[in-house]
Amino acid sequence: MSPKGEVLTVTSLTKRFGKVSAVLDLSFTVQPGRVTGFLGPNGSGKTTTLRCLLGLVQPTSGTAQVGGHDYRELPHPAAVVGATLEASGFHPGRTARGHLRVITDAAALPATRADEVLELVGLTEAAGRKVGGFSLGMRQRLALAAALVGDPGVLILDEPANGLDPEGIAWLRSFLRARAEEGRTVLVSSHVLSEVQQTVDDVIIISKGRLVQAGSLEELTGAGLTQVRVRTPQLEVLRAALLAEAGSGGVHVEVVSPVELMVSGLEAAEIGHLALRQQVELHELTPVGTDLEALFLELTADGNPGGAA
Amino acid sequence: MSMVRSEFRKVTTTKVLLWLTIATIAFSALNVVLLVFLTPRAMDIDSDLNLLLDPAYVTNILGAAGSSSIFILILGIIGMTSEYRHMTITSTFLVTPKRPRVLIAKGITYALLGAALGLIAFITSFAVTLIALMTEDHAPVDAIIALQILGGVVLAFAIYAFVGVSVGALIRNQVAAIVGALVWVLIVEALLTVFVDWIGKWLPGGALDAVLQTTNVTGRGGEDILPTATGVVVLLGYAVIFGILASLTTLRRDIT
Repeated sequence: MSPKGEVLTVTSLTKRFGKVSAVLDLSFTVQPGRVTGFLGPNGSGKTTTLRCLLGLVQPTSGTAQVGGHDYRELPHPAAVVGATLEASGFHPGRTARGHLRVITDAAALPATRADEVLELVGLTEAAGRKVGGFSLGMRQRLALAAALVGDPGVLILDEPANGLDPEGIAWLRSFLRARAEEGRTVLVSSHVLSEVQQTVDDVIIISKGRLVQAGSLEELTGAGLTQVRVRTPQLEVLRAALLAEAGSGGVHVEVVSPVELMVSGLEAAEIGHLALRQQVELHELTPVGTDLEALFLELTADGNPGGAA
Repeated sequence: MSMVRSEFRKVTTTKVLLWLTIATIAFSALNVVLLVFLTPRAMDIDSDLNLLLDPAYVTNILGAAGSSSIFILILGIIGMTSEYRHMTITSTFLVTPKRPRVLIAKGITYALLGAALGLIAFITSFAVTLIALMTEDHAPVDAIIALQILGGVVLAFAIYAFVGVSVGALIRNQVAAIVGALVWVLIVEALLTVFVDWIGKWLPGGALDAVLQTTNVTGRGGEDILPTATGVVVLLGYAVIFGILASLTTLRRDIT
């Protein structure tokens, strides 16, 4: 039986470093049983938020809690939350196994856990080697091993894909997916949406320390519905037919130019069929796919904090 | 006590302890050799007196065990500051988010290590003294005094390592902490003592000498030094006060 995930709750979180507000009145929740992507450009406050959740940074105001408790109040944190953070370090002279044994000792876990998690992340052969000679990818794996050592119900991973090769990323995806399906809470930060697009169920997008959007990935892609570009010399006839069809709901028609429409809510085939019935001549019928990365950039661009959603 | 075990593992999975143990052994041995062979002859130039025939001087030679105290202080400082230097403090605080507990676990761990190094330093100086004196005429080595020095060195090094941990918690930059400690021990404290007589025995180095009971090695003696028990309390007081100060200030800082 796997340990149960906890709900992560960030409430009106604000953190100032001197005069700079790294995080500003940020609120969101992260549910167990799902993989949640925590997205935002570099410097948008992701790491600061995660560090507040992990008790490493003291919020200026607001709270960031795990299962309704401050991290510092957790009686046995390693068994509740496993975390990897970008700046978290290793002593270069310590071996991979030594690094993990330091943690198993401190968390009063059986020493055998060290070798178990090393195997899990594929570092068994490097167990006795000094971390100083590790590649970035190996360090990422070791950090993940350290997060897993207490078999926690919550995983908080800061930019875990950095330095991993494509195989490593594919492995990480299926690994996180499996953890979420076991009912655990999985929060993964990234500054590139496309990197986690295939992995996440939910997204939380922040920019300049503020929330931009929170919800399921479908909701986000829904915000940029698949559109179809239609060019026709009989624009008004087609538009009227499309609007009549729109009575059934969910169809949006935008006039781009006297000969061009952008239609959302209908498939290209449906529009073509409608045009045929109305005997409307078509010059172009092109589905324009949702460009999530462009959407993400737009959402997090300057002057759009707290907008959308 | 799982946290102490973790601290022991931290220090035994790196090389610092090994180097500082070697330094402690080498420095203790070197001091004994200088005191046996060099100092009496240097003094013989002016007088016929053989210092080695003076029981107090022989006691002094054994007391060389305490001469490597600075390495013990550095061991404690590195024990704390290397966590910040390599940012392993992040994983330490993730496992133990109640930070003062980390400081206490380190204090206990390094006090035990300090005691062990005190024992090693004493064994080194005792053995080298016996070997070096074999070929010389000398006053007898007093077993009771030797045991007293052993107790002093073990206790002093144990507390001094704890002082180092607390200093490291207050000054998180490793280089600054070590340089600061060296400057304090070798320069500032000596200067302060020159200008304000009575203060010397109350300072960390003065309290250390009181616990070590090695008056002649540092040139302090008589009224310039605290009774041993008072020295223990004062030195331990420095460790505890620095530790509490750190808990209220530097230890609370954000880990970013």
